[in-house]
Amino acid sequence: MTTPTWDEPGGPMPNDEFRAATQAIMANIEQVIEGKSATVRLALAVLLAEGHLLIEDVPGVGKTKLAKALARSIDCSVRRIQFTPDLLPSDVTGVSVYNQEQRDFEFKPGAVFANLVVGDEINRASPKTQSALLECMEERQVTVDGTTYELQAPFMVIATQNPIEMEGTYPLPEAQRDRFTARIAMGYPDPRAELAMLNGHGAHDPLNDLRAVTDAGTVRRLIATARDVHAAEAVQQYAIALVTATREAPEIRLGASPRSTLQLIRTAKAVAALEGRDYVLPDDLQALAVPVLAHRIIPTADAQLNRRTTDAIVSEIVHRLPLPHDRARSPYDTRNNAGGNNQYEPRGR
Amino acid sequence: MSGRRRLGLVAAGATLLAAAPIASIFDSYAWLLQCLLTVGLIAGAAVGARTLRFPAWAQALSMIVVLLLTLTWLFPSGEEFLIPTPATFAHFGDLFTQAGQDTRSYGVPVPDRDGLLFVTVLGIGSVAIAVDLLTVVARKPALAGLPMLAIYSVPVAVYVDSVPVLPFIIGAGGFMWLLVSDNIDRVRRFGRRFTGDGRDVDVWEPSPLASAGRRLGVIGVVAAVALPLLVPTISGGLLSRLTQTGTGVGVGPGTGNGGRINLFASLSGQLTRTDEVELVRLKTDEQTPYYLRFGVADQLTINGFGSRTPTGESVTQGLPDPRTSSGTGNFTEHQAQVQVSEILQQGMLPIYQNTVGVDGLSSGWNFDDNQQVVFSNRRSTKGINYTFDYVRAKPTPAQLRQAEPMSEDDPIVRLNTAHPTDATVTALVNRLIAGKSTEYDKMLALYEHFSSKNGFRYQLSTQPVGASSEIAAFLTTKVGYCQQYAAALAWMAREAGIPARVAFGFTRGKLEGDTYVITNRNAHAWTEVYLRGFGWIPFDATPAASVTGAARSDYAPDVDLPTAAPTATEDVELPGAAGPAASAGADRPDRPDLNDPGATGPTGGDTGGISTTGFLIIGLAALLIALLLVPALRRVLLRRHRHAATVPRAPKVTTLSGPGDIVVTSETTKARADAHAAWDELMDTMIDFRIPLDPTETPRVTAQRLIKDAVLLDEPATAATLLGSAEERARYARQPLQGGELTTALTRVRKGLSRSATRRTRIAAVMLPPSVLMRWRLGIAEGSARLAGAGSRLSATLAKFSPRRLLPHRSR
Repeated sequence: MTTPTWDEPGGPMPNDEFRAATQAIMANIEQVIEGKSATVRLALAVLLAEGHLLIEDVPGVGKTKLAKALARSIDCSVRRIQFTPDLLPSDVTGVSVYNQEQRDFEFKPGAVFANLVVGDEINRASPKTQSALLECMEERQVTVDGTTYELQAPFMVIATQNPIEMEGTYPLPEAQRDRFTARIAMGYPDPRAELAMLNGHGAHDPLNDLRAVTDAGTVRRLIATARDVHAAEAVQQYAIALVTATREAPEIRLGASPRSTLQLIRTAKAVAALEGRDYVLPDDLQALAVPVLAHRIIPTADAQLNRRTTDAIVSEIVHRLPLPHDRARSPYDTRNNAGGNNQYEPRGR
Repeated sequence: MSGRRRLGLVAAGATLLAAAPIASIFDSYAWLLQCLLTVGLIAGAAVGARTLRFPAWAQALSMIVVLLLTLTWLFPSGEEFLIPTPATFAHFGDLFTQAGQDTRSYGVPVPDRDGLLFVTVLGIGSVAIAVDLLTVVARKPALAGLPMLAIYSVPVAVYVDSVPVLPFIIGAGGFMWLLVSDNIDRVRRFGRRFTGDGRDVDVWEPSPLASAGRRLGVIGVVAAVALPLLVPTISGGLLSRLTQTGTGVGVGPGTGNGGRINLFASLSGQLTRTDEVELVRLKTDEQTPYYLRFGVADQLTINGFGSRTPTGESVTQGLPDPRTSSGTGNFTEHQAQVQVSEILQQGMLPIYQNTVGVDGLSSGWNFDDNQQVVFSNRRSTKGINYTFDYVRAKPTPAQLRQAEPMSEDDPIVRLNTAHPTDATVTALVNRLIAGKSTEYDKMLALYEHFSSKNGFRYQLSTQPVGASSEIAAFLTTKVGYCQQYAAALAWMAREAGIPARVAFGFTRGKLEGDTYVITNRNAHAWTEVYLRGFGWIPFDATPAASVTGAARSDYAPDVDLPTAAPTATEDVELPGAAGPAASAGADRPDRPDLNDPGATGPTGGDTGGISTTGFLIIGLAALLIALLLVPALRRVLLRRHRHAATVPRAPKVTTLSGPGDIVVTSETTKARADAHAAWDELMDTMIDFRIPLDPTETPRVTAQRLIKDAVLLDEPATAATLLGSAEERARYARQPLQGGELTTALTRVRKGLSRSATRRTRIAAVMLPPSVLMRWRLGIAEGSARLAGAGSRLSATLAKFSPRRLLPHRSR
């Protein structure tokens, strides 16, 4: 098989080339999704961070459109799985069928055997089916009947889902949520963007006009470039401090995993690269903390009763956590921390 | 009883305790009864008002009404029955006026005068109300200490040098009681007090908090005691009081005259006053009068010279005439008229030696034959005029040489030769009088020892004479003023077996027409020795050149003059004396009932005394200013240091030979350090301009917030962004920012900040930079925490070695 393995992503790119390639992708997607450049950028960052993207929002805001636009912008194999309540794990991974001619079982690859897998309405399938994704998302391989099949590189799952409160949905298992690098929300478009959408989509779907602007090989090089971004020790310590804080926060029952630390840094590197920097800033981590960490943690029953969303809890941690320094710096802090330490106040009534 | 009402009673009790100092003002205890009654009624009114749940203003009003009623009852005008009428208030006004007059005309302790009692009761009652309101209503018992302290200021104002200590301790005890009660009440509001292990504790049981409080208290007391000792101008009063116990002129409070006055301390006070005030105007028909004198110190103990309480018969019964008992024949008779100013208030009359009669005095003035002073326990010299007749003896040295040694059993000898033993003094005296046969020659030898040839130097800014050791020390240091000279010569004379004492009075003063004007600068002290057949003969060992209006006699010529001195040096206007140039630090305002002893004194003079004091004050002021400027200086130095760091230098590459041959470009490292220095400077600048720091913010966000908060525009904004990105890259990037004009950027940001800051912030940022102060404060806090930690570790270690562990266990 000539498919390059995951660990041979290709050489890093010069700065100009990187910027040109990534901006081409973003511009391409923004033809379809108007006024959501931050979301588009984050989606691209997840791709460059070799992660998987979960787009969660109410119906009709363009989740699937974003996923499809991203997939179409890259000239690579794209498969789509429409998650339905009756979908089976073998539909995802593939199945061995008996070949009468060869008198042997033959493996029919499932939908995950592609560079980009668009999983639409992922939380409408039962947890049983969803668990089929666990192995391929983390290990980028599929094991069927004792045989392990490698997946192509790059490999990215872009899943969309409705919020859990919507009817006909199953919550994603913690293990699977943890495999998604980032969860982003689309949000409603602003009126101007909505008007542009009406004009654009009136005649025909602009998605049909979308052409690929890059290919898998280029994406591999983009990924390699993002990997090369420098994360100083102070930044790494900050990432660890953030993740540790979610584990220690009294409002959280299950904190973020070590995997999330890794993904946080990777995504931050990708974001830094997209911004034309070759080093990660704590600012990147702060901006990414909610998308990368919030969907993994489970708040306590008390916090849920108090309608504390995980997003709010994580952003509060970000606002509370002091920045680690790689050197002895001014030890004082004149910040008025009124309300800053309310984590020690008794919760509930 | 609720906590508040109990606290109200405690406040009343504390007020009464704080009133203890008043005891030293009054002759009897009538004031106490009245105050007890008033404060009790006020407290009762407060308790009643609180029981009826009156609002705060009504509580205050009820107390004031009760005070008014009590005052009306205690000091009735006769036209009302308990309810005050306009006549009552008119009467109160009269009482006030009367009190004002009484304070001027009576010395302490005062008799029970209605006016004074009224003012006292009114004052104590007002303090009681204030303390009650502050403690119970405002819950600020610490503030209640102020009105209580105001009571203590009364005796402080009345007694100058010897303020009674015991009443203050009683008052302080009352204040402590108030504080403790309030705190216990506060704690009780939360429920019960308990220890860390959950056990209930009794009120008086020590708690960790209490021990912390005690430690703080000890530190506070030590600081409060130590600091004044370090300040020279204050130490005079405090130290001399500590060291001179018992040396005062003992006119006890019971005998009707003013409190104990230390003649030495008062003399020093007169001489070191910054202003010159006229004390006495004197007219005499004598050509060259000697010194006016009014008091003597004739007891020499280990504590130094002190005075006996003078006793004697009234001056109206006549004064002894020395001509009948003296061996010299050359007496001249003179008369002098004296006009004492309003300022000189003392119970001792300035007269010449050998006064034979005083006219123009009211009754109450007595003459002590032994001390030869006219004194009064009731009257003051304030503003009196009198004339007196005196005889002047001018013995010649030849006559004095005939004076024979006195018998050791003579009471004069016994009383006036007692002295502490001091080997140095004994040796010195023995050396000086070796080979001298007559008493006078011995005395002259001792007297001549105090010459400038022997290194003695006049300086006013020395401590007043205290313990004997200080007098002896003067013989070694040889720097002092009239007190030291007089005391030292008197001691040496006693050592030689000649009766001697220290006399206090005035030098001749300035001659205006035929009148001598004597001011506080003329206060002086000198030595008198008793020679058989001649009586008390004055010897003034203080250098004449340093004393305004100094006089010398034939028998004791000026030792510093190369030629034999003429009779009584005519140096009323001594050319060498620099007059009242003194600017000594202790400015002692006049206080009523101060027995100003004084003695004449030299002022100024050719020595450096006064200028030294001046320099000391200037130096202290400079030191104070310098201390105030230290934070600003520290800030400027820090900034310059950092600016120096951010100025780019020639790049340099150093190779460190280590594992793997790491090549460190010092340029990169330097750039990183520069950015950090610039950032630290920016942080400090922000603190200086009171822009809060947030440790959760990244440099980028901090810079943006700075621009927004301080409304920086254009250049400063660009500069702030540059500093932010420099620090950001220095911290997080592989390559730090290089070639940025960080120093310029810092200057621009600073300018921008000061443009948008208020004037106050701007001045504070320069004069008392908050960044420096905060760092010091944190440093101190950290240091003390570390110290406390070390202390507790030490005590834990010591506890391990407790000998108790070695004792056999009792249960075994």
